[in-house]
Amino acid sequence: MAIILSDIVMDYPGTRALDRVGVEFRDDEVHGLIGENGAGKTTLVSILGGSRLATAGRMTLDGEEVRLTDAGDALARGIAHVSQEGSLVPGLTAAENILLGAEPRRLGAIVDRRALSRQARELLTRWFPDVEIDLDAPVESLPYADQKIVEIVRALRGSVRILILDEPTATLPAREKERLWAIVRRLPTQGVGVVLISHFLSEILALSDRITVLRDGRLVETFSAAGADEARLVRLMLQRGQTGGAVDAPRGAVDTAVPPVIEVSDWQTADATAGHFAVRPGEIVGLIGLTGSGHFAFARSLYDAPDRIGGAMRFAGEEVADVSAAAMRRRGVAFVPDHRMIHSLVADWSVRENLAMVHPEAGALSALGILRPAREGREARRVMGRLAVKASSPEQIVTELSGGNKQKISIGKWLYGAEDRYRLMIFVEPTEGVDIGAKREIHQLMKDLARAGCAVVVASSDLIEIADLATRVVSFAGGHAIGELHWPNFSEQSFIAAMAGARS
Amino acid sequence: MSAALAAPRDDAAGRRRLKQGLLRYSTLIVLALLFIGFSIGVDRFLTTSNLLNILQQISMLTIVAIGLTFGFAAREMDLSVGFMAGLAGLIAPLLLVAGWPMPVALLAGLGAGLAVGLVNALLVTLVGVPSLIATLAMGSILFGVNFLLSGGRAIYGGLPDSYLVLGQGRILGIPVVAFIMLGAVALAWFVMERTIFGRYVYAVGGNLKAAELSGIRGRRYRQAALVISSLFAAVAGLLLSARLGSGQPNAGQDYLLDGLATVFIGMTMFRPGTATIAGTFFGALFIGVINNGLNLVGLDTYIQSIVKGVIIIVAVAVVSRTTKLKLI
Repeated sequence: MAIILSDIVMDYPGTRALDRVGVEFRDDEVHGLIGENGAGKTTLVSILGGSRLATAGRMTLDGEEVRLTDAGDALARGIAHVSQEGSLVPGLTAAENILLGAEPRRLGAIVDRRALSRQARELLTRWFPDVEIDLDAPVESLPYADQKIVEIVRALRGSVRILILDEPTATLPAREKERLWAIVRRLPTQGVGVVLISHFLSEILALSDRITVLRDGRLVETFSAAGADEARLVRLMLQRGQTGGAVDAPRGAVDTAVPPVIEVSDWQTADATAGHFAVRPGEIVGLIGLTGSGHFAFARSLYDAPDRIGGAMRFAGEEVADVSAAAMRRRGVAFVPDHRMIHSLVADWSVRENLAMVHPEAGALSALGILRPAREGREARRVMGRLAVKASSPEQIVTELSGGNKQKISIGKWLYGAEDRYRLMIFVEPTEGVDIGAKREIHQLMKDLARAGCAVVVASSDLIEIADLATRVVSFAGGHAIGELHWPNFSEQSFIAAMAGARS
Repeated sequence: MSAALAAPRDDAAGRRRLKQGLLRYSTLIVLALLFIGFSIGVDRFLTTSNLLNILQQISMLTIVAIGLTFGFAAREMDLSVGFMAGLAGLIAPLLLVAGWPMPVALLAGLGAGLAVGLVNALLVTLVGVPSLIATLAMGSILFGVNFLLSGGRAIYGGLPDSYLVLGQGRILGIPVVAFIMLGAVALAWFVMERTIFGRYVYAVGGNLKAAELSGIRGRRYRQAALVISSLFAAVAGLLLSARLGSGQPNAGQDYLLDGLATVFIGMTMFRPGTATIAGTFFGALFIGVINNGLNLVGLDTYIQSIVKGVIIIVAVAVVSRTTKLKLI
């Protein structure tokens, strides 16, 4: 069996998630599907699995055009989807989970427990004869790999020909992954094709027959996995082939005689480690890496590290013991996070209230903490002018603004009542979902801040942005800071090589 | 072309703003209509003495609801306020009857509010029990404590006039409790709308993650909100026992449901989806006018209970259908 998707388009309000993507999935292969976050992988498999309807495009199954309107429809045609989050019911046994909704009954009402146990066992041995799982144990007591296998067996209950596995090993400890890999490899020999989404490129290479790469909602290429290597995958996932206009612009010289503002050594949190990392006044240090490689987590841990495991930090020459948001802010660290509506703004607040969140005292009678709306309005207007925020007034509700203007408010929080107060400013995805004009303005602001003596750290998945801004780049892979690049050795190629794990 | 594109968008924005404006004041309009309706239809409604009566009737409820409003603003729910009011309203009469001076009795009542609030706050922020559960359980505990303390009987006899005047007295014909209530409303409004503390409470309730990443110690403001909630309940309990002239083990029980109804009605006003002091005050007026009007018409209390239930459902339905309200 083969299912061919052609010219698939998926539009969400304001964005095109998939743009004329064409790909063929077969029942005799493991088909790896890769791409950065936002590349469109999940959207594509939800269309394949029937849970989303494409805006445009065709789907043919063995030459016959089909239209899948829901997951049940897809299942009837032999396409099953095991999602990333997991769909097991805790408290039920593994066998009960396998036969959920199709329990054998006596007299039409009473679940026949013995038959249920036997049928689940038969299903498991039919597909995976050498896998041993205690099917009568509560499912949550099983190892994670076995839980995933239970989910897969349930998905294989009908006559399935294509099985979609979305990040099946994301939650598995390393030693359990191989158990699942063996399962995945075996399925095509039993007539079930696998569509495998994974962030682990080594896993994709080891398991796939063919690999499809998506980038920014477009198909990059489908190719045989034989002979491919990780460096090629990374290049295909990231390379946009654009030339950044400002890459060649010279960077301000950094006085290396000046001591660093921040310095960490043997830094270790749950998601990121770095041997030594320091930033001097006037520097803009870019952090790059693939999704989940630790560059965002590291940037954040310099401001708020509740999960710190080890390492030492010095800020402005002083030893820092308490790395928490409140304490670091007081020392002079600003943090502009990604996902501004989740991490930075209060949705139903006005522009003024959002701007005043970090330093409300600037709009208050000092000492007493009594807010003066007129004074707040004045300071809000100053910041809005400084950042060229387009809003009808400081009283406009922040959710009514465009993405770029929201981001300016998220940054402006740290300028309200605090121009020049911050010695280190950390940005994560500073121009995520921001139009090109606002992007340029935000970049200019960051350069101005650095020129005024602020140390700047930028973690971004936009390599062109990093190339335009940074004076120095640190690359991350697998949770570790692994390399460092200096301007003018900045190019998409050099970045991609650094992110693929090549030490430089 | 850009003009053609811009026009419908402006229309949509205008419609949305109109809808929001209507929503913001619809409850006030309903309140005004109720008031006019009762004034025309019910003989004794629009008289000075009855209006003062309404004011007196809603005083304690408003004070409890203000406390709840602090909790809601920080996204914490305090379900122990009813029994907390009962506890404070027992402790003070018990001490007074035993001959203790009035300041000691009042401070003991408030101290009980402080202690219960602190325990609630610690359970929620340090142990990690959701406030809904922690305060529900605390309410059950206080219910038992109230009966243990009182032996299930009313505490009365020998309560000094200086105490009773708090609940029963009038100044210039206006009930003392109304002055205290209006003072509490003014103070709470000022704290929530005009101080950094209040702004931070709203920030923590509006987006805890964003508040904490802005360097606000979220836990502190959630704790403070729960303590304040308990303190206001204690004040209401003291006033209630002064009004009744006795400490009753099951006094104050109705304040929980009525208080929640008050806050929910208030959340439909001014900043839909957010509990505000002004909204809560008008929410209390709403409940007061309905209860009083139905009373005068001669409807039984169980009918009022049905009406209240329906109002809560309507208010919460309006708020959750028009905003992204998440109560828990």
